[in-house]
Amino acid sequence: MTISLYLDHDTWMHRLDARTKILSVLALCILALLYSHPFYLAAVWGLVFLGVVSAKALANMKKISILLVLLFLYSAILWPFFVEGHTHIFQWGSILITSEGLTFGLGMGLRLNVMVMSGILLLSTTRLEDFARSLQRFGIPPSMGFAVTLAFRWVPTLLGSISMIVQAQRSRGLDLSVGSFVDKIRGYAPLVVPLIGHTIRQTMLLAMALESKGFRPSRRRHSYSQSHMTGLDYGVLFVAVVCVGVSWRLRVMGYGV
Amino acid sequence: MNDGRSGWRTCGWVSDLTSVWQDTTLIVLTAQIAAIYAAILIPFKVGIPIIPGFVELRPANAIPLVASLLFGPAAAWGAGIGNLIGDCFGTLGPASLFGFLGNFFLGWVPYLMWGNLGPLSSGKPPYWQSWTQGFELTTISVVSSAVCAVTIAWGVELLGLLPFMVLAPAIFLNNVVMGLLLGPPLLAFLYPRVKRWGLYYRDLSDARIQREASPVVQVDSELLAKSRRKAIRDEFMVKLEDVTFRYRSADSPALHRLSLQIRAGEWIVIMGPRDSGKSTLCHCLNGLIPRFAPGVFSGVLSVGEQWDGVPRQSESVGLVFQDFDTQLIATNVEQEITHPLEYLDPPLSSEEVRRRRESVLHQVGLEGLASRDPLTLSGGQRQRLVLASVLVCQPRLLVLDQPMTDLDPDARLSLQNLCVTLRQQGMTIILVEHEPSEVLLADRLYVLDHGEICWEGTPQALFQSPGLPKQFGLASSLLADCFVDLGLSTLPITVEEAWRVTDERGIVLDPGNDMAIRENGMAEEGGQCNGSCSSIQFQSVSFEYVSGVPVLKDVSLSIAQGEFVAVLGKNGSGKSTLGKLVSGLLLPSDGSVLVRDQNTTVTPMTELSRMVGYVFQNPDHQIFAETVWDEVGFGIQNLGVPDDECEQRIVESLRSVGLDVGRYRFEDPFSLTKGERQRVAVASILATKPDILIFDEPTTGLDARETDRMMTMICDLHRQGHTIVMITHTIHLVAEYAARCVLMHDGTVLADAFTRVIFSDPALMRAAALNVPDLTRFSQRWGHTLLTVNEVKAALRLP
Repeated sequence: MTISLYLDHDTWMHRLDARTKILSVLALCILALLYSHPFYLAAVWGLVFLGVVSAKALANMKKISILLVLLFLYSAILWPFFVEGHTHIFQWGSILITSEGLTFGLGMGLRLNVMVMSGILLLSTTRLEDFARSLQRFGIPPSMGFAVTLAFRWVPTLLGSISMIVQAQRSRGLDLSVGSFVDKIRGYAPLVVPLIGHTIRQTMLLAMALESKGFRPSRRRHSYSQSHMTGLDYGVLFVAVVCVGVSWRLRVMGYGV
Repeated sequence: MNDGRSGWRTCGWVSDLTSVWQDTTLIVLTAQIAAIYAAILIPFKVGIPIIPGFVELRPANAIPLVASLLFGPAAAWGAGIGNLIGDCFGTLGPASLFGFLGNFFLGWVPYLMWGNLGPLSSGKPPYWQSWTQGFELTTISVVSSAVCAVTIAWGVELLGLLPFMVLAPAIFLNNVVMGLLLGPPLLAFLYPRVKRWGLYYRDLSDARIQREASPVVQVDSELLAKSRRKAIRDEFMVKLEDVTFRYRSADSPALHRLSLQIRAGEWIVIMGPRDSGKSTLCHCLNGLIPRFAPGVFSGVLSVGEQWDGVPRQSESVGLVFQDFDTQLIATNVEQEITHPLEYLDPPLSSEEVRRRRESVLHQVGLEGLASRDPLTLSGGQRQRLVLASVLVCQPRLLVLDQPMTDLDPDARLSLQNLCVTLRQQGMTIILVEHEPSEVLLADRLYVLDHGEICWEGTPQALFQSPGLPKQFGLASSLLADCFVDLGLSTLPITVEEAWRVTDERGIVLDPGNDMAIRENGMAEEGGQCNGSCSSIQFQSVSFEYVSGVPVLKDVSLSIAQGEFVAVLGKNGSGKSTLGKLVSGLLLPSDGSVLVRDQNTTVTPMTELSRMVGYVFQNPDHQIFAETVWDEVGFGIQNLGVPDDECEQRIVESLRSVGLDVGRYRFEDPFSLTKGERQRVAVASILATKPDILIFDEPTTGLDARETDRMMTMICDLHRQGHTIVMITHTIHLVAEYAARCVLMHDGTVLADAFTRVIFSDPALMRAAALNVPDLTRFSQRWGHTLLTVNEVKAALRLP
């Protein structure tokens, strides 16, 4: 079983250095945070969508399409109850829905979508190792970056174990669909205990396995990765900075609020 | 107590948190907690999309609290990272930063608070045994949940994503409910075990402090100097002199005054029963012991040019673990191979890295797979990948710890061929192995027992000597066993040798009339099913895990009440899927499976589990209870059996699997050996009194004695009337025990007949990527297909 969202294509976005991609995604999120009006956020959404198409990452976006729709709906439905405004649309007791609230809700739904899609864009085009290495270059301790890659690497194995454990306990008659609320929650113990027990029991062995392959927390790690900043990277970063600058200016001038 | 060792001192907090990144064990623990947290989060994320903590009650939320009280700061980092990984399946964005922080606090605050609440603290270990502990746990759960909820909800509102008043109560409620309902049972189960494994945070940090303060290695300098002079003169690659190692928790040493020398370029085999010290020796060779296992080491151990007598981590020793998957750490083949080179000092040139990578990929036969995810490779390929990642550092000594255990016959053969090639290239190899047929090409063999060498010689000398392997608790060559009564001083161990012996002595193989009938398949025990007595029926069954990728294709077969059927095939042929379809754990995508005339698709699981018991390959996937008694009783309690009958059934089940009720009743199943745990798993299935028992690879990882015991137990259950379905790729067990065999290949039934009929057709076996056992091949020279040692013995006719 593999769970990584990385898609092995050769697009211009795949060729970018991971640092450029992280900073660009950050820039996209800043754009999304600067505006709250749905029209402007729709434009940012379009920009991210173009990125997804050109990175051939539509497959991943399809995978989470339901999530995107639901996040949009949560936001669009919930915010109007909490945002005040002048243009009343509906009132029931103390609950007041205004046009401003609805607009804000739509905008925030789009903002959530932009952020999630930017994340998907990054994960679809960046190998986990490159991602971890970039975090390291941004100053995160190497051991921490390594732990993130290790954890990522073990998740599919553990999902496999969970499926085995669920099958083993079901075959012994464990049925989480019956019983009271408390019974159901406590019924998770026969699933979670073998998972943690089985995993933690291997801790020493895994630590030995790591050191047998040369890993030491104190040891400097040299990267043989070919990735380095090219003209394309600098170009993309320049465009990102210009976009953020222009958007900031527009926002200060009162647009997009 | 926990022991928030730093108490309320903030400077202590920082050193506590940073110490995690300076210790490999704590780094592994952090990654494990993160992976466990993410793995339990993800299934709930995929189905029900959520902002962190929103909408759905998730069992994962108990993990940071539980892990925090057991593993301290590693849990804080693990919970934060785990949540971040969970976000990578859909919700990664700026809000993830606050998700990280909130979960970090959820995994950090409980550790800080336990034992540090002044008069409110219980002063006892972190689980719910008394009301004071319960009160402390409740307080901690409420406070840490609140800190987590406020952090995340505040951040998410700051980003304008969702209102604080919607999110904060949802997260708080989720964490508190899970922490208080699931936390106490988890802690009660896990605390004693984590303590016993020496992984409780306080014990880990105490061990580290102790290790740094006092050396555990005692070196005899005179012995070392003498040893060094002699070793250099004799060109030894490995030299052990009087090596003794005792684990801190053990009564007797794992290695006891062990002395051996291995010359450069030799291929050595180490054999021995379970716990004889084989793995300890392997781990000593590259210094993992005593570095990782607390204990006392004495004597002289030198490898290659390293002559200071202390086991050191050494690039000149390449080690492949028995559980080789633990050594896979990257997400593609190329990175996996390059990773060990990243620690070399000084670093290599990019050109040299490329050259080495291509060379090892060619050496292990994985060319063209450089960009594949290791998890998508077969077991044999993954093992060769680990081997490549070890060979890329150009070690002078290669140590393989039971590498054949999980491999099918083809993968075993290719590993053996690789060892031959490496030896020709001058590599020194140490191979730990159980199977006689896998070690015959080696130069020398040592038998280890109780940490001492009890025999030394060539592999041939051991297996050709009558009775010797059994004396050391090792598996003997079945072919040799056939000739043991003939008074030969040297027994044949290969088919060719056996034929030579028969030629020289004028021996012929003549099974006689009785056996001839059996060979025609007329009188095999159990008989084949005629449909009316069928216990299990597959009617044109297909199954796919992923749409469009069939794992089983149009399988039809029928198994009668009381039969003993082996399902044989290489890894990935669909054997386990077939078994799980019988037990109702999987339902067919097409066709139908009938168990005692009931369709599994419409029969409730509780009903099916009374008819079919499935014994999983790994007993650790089901064991959770505190005592053997509770573990065995779990299934029947789920079925609602009255208490007095429960007790009777538990006693009967434990007796059936050969476990003494008095001795094992209060044992923690986690503390038993693999063979014993396997028996507990079988007992817990037997207690539900199923007619049909499915054993999935029941002997994997067991040594010769344990395998014998397991197979005897399965045969006893068969005699008691159970229908047995045994899934395996161990061919000689099929020959020995199963009258009927279903041969699987690529999701289809290649053949379904009496084992003797299938084994009489070597071409058919090859089509399933399997070989007939040596014993059978030997007999086929005379036109017979004999399956067991007793059959061959009875058929040997002296002139």
